[in-house]
Amino acid sequence: MSLFQLAWKNISGNAFRSWVVAICALIVAAFALFITIVLRGAETSLQLASDRLGADIIVVPTGAEAKVEGALLMGIPAKFWMPSANLEKLAAIPGVENVSPQVYLETLTGASCCSVPSMFMIAYDPLTDFTIRPWLKQELGEGLDLGEVVGGSYISATEGKQNIRIYGYLVTLKGNLEPTGTGLDQSMFFTLDTARDIARISQTQAETVLSIPADQVSAALIKVEPGGDPHRVAIQILQKIPDVTPIESASLFQSSRKQLASLLQTILSMMGLTWALSVVLIGLVFSMAANERRRELGVIRALGATRAYISQSLLAEAGILALCGGAVGIALAVLAVFLFRRLIIVSFGIPFLLPSPGSLVLQISIGLFLACFSVCLAALFPAIKISRQDPAVAMRE
Amino acid sequence: MIKVLSILIIILALVMAVVPVYTDCLSQGRALTLENGKTVPMKCHWTGIAEIGAALPVGLAGIFMLRTRRKETARTIGIMGMAGGALAILFPTVLIGVCSNPDMLCNMVMRPTLILAGTLAIAASLVIFFRAPSLEDAA
Repeated sequence: MSLFQLAWKNISGNAFRSWVVAICALIVAAFALFITIVLRGAETSLQLASDRLGADIIVVPTGAEAKVEGALLMGIPAKFWMPSANLEKLAAIPGVENVSPQVYLETLTGASCCSVPSMFMIAYDPLTDFTIRPWLKQELGEGLDLGEVVGGSYISATEGKQNIRIYGYLVTLKGNLEPTGTGLDQSMFFTLDTARDIARISQTQAETVLSIPADQVSAALIKVEPGGDPHRVAIQILQKIPDVTPIESASLFQSSRKQLASLLQTILSMMGLTWALSVVLIGLVFSMAANERRRELGVIRALGATRAYISQSLLAEAGILALCGGAVGIALAVLAVFLFRRLIIVSFGIPFLLPSPGSLVLQISIGLFLACFSVCLAALFPAIKISRQDPAVAMRE
Repeated sequence: MIKVLSILIIILALVMAVVPVYTDCLSQGRALTLENGKTVPMKCHWTGIAEIGAALPVGLAGIFMLRTRRKETARTIGIMGMAGGALAILFPTVLIGVCSNPDMLCNMVMRPTLILAGTLAIAASLVIFFRAPSLEDAA
């Protein structure tokens, strides 16, 4: 009888014991993989959103820092204003290469003139913009004309094949951007001219007029000169321009990063506890199994099996159970993350992006390795102990 | 093994029947208002009702599976479980659907729960189908 056959016979011979070990392996693998995918997905998403923004510094009115993070990260619509005269002051600061204004708007909720409720909308100036246009060109091959919009990955046409009604104005959806897992996926982008045209039409067509105050903008995006220090520029902005706050791109989404770090700490301690309990439980199960089978293993040794064969048979049994349990756990974790990703984003309040196939395969391999390692580690001590027993003593007991 | 899977199938059938009752938009006080002022439930509610119909054969398959000792019966019940599981997936995705807003509870909880429960019911029924000969061996 081969080692594998002996291990398989033992697995099918004691269903309860096998189920306990396989379920422990399932829990370890599923928990580890689920947590890894969610946390890595959140990190990737934050990085992607930060990269897509493309500015070194975002200047917003003082007090609007949390609002802008909530809007860009979770798609929570935000409205705030600062004088557009600030743009000239910002451009005059040494080290600033480019300044571009943005206006943040939102659609109406429960109004027939808006076919999408509470959507965050970003209007940009095509003449000075250096953040949105590059990826619009990359995705669409051209910029946006009057009445044209581009949506995040969740935005779809609601009127006909290509149109969306906003404040009674039919805009044309030119395309969708690649998902980032952040609020940008639920946002819409258009030019300042389109925003002003919507505001004009809304006076006669909308339930509530869209007002864009003259000489006001929501935020200013700043590109620092090559080799310049964004931190130094940010300090100068603070000193020279009142009532505004510069947010450096490295500091953007700090609250989410802090939340992620504390979540990681809690989850790691929970995972450590689960892993330790599973290893102890599997160790106990294998110790009991080895004790139960003392006589049987004694006979096998008396028939000529070596010590190594006895310990290897127990480890093979552990390995098979770990592989089966781990594989089911991994399949469940991947399915759960894929299906419940929206719930994860809303419940944890973090952005999330599904991993690429290559990264997923790597994470699956690590999860499966962890399950096999945990079960084999737990079975190692009983396996060594039983293999060292004298066959004559074992058979007499 | 077949007994454990049968119990799992019964639990999954309960999930399919009960979860939509508490996670459809009607349970959250949301309904469509018609021009004449009347309110009607959104389509996720009807998916929830249809799921009870899908959960029933799945649950019965699990109960019968606990009792049967015949290979052919077990296989037939396995097929019934697979069909029920497939229906549980098809109702919220293709046949009826749920509300379009991705932030609604029916989209965030009900739909994924039903897809997961349906997938597990199909997987468990598939294992029962192929392990059915072991029932007669054990007898």
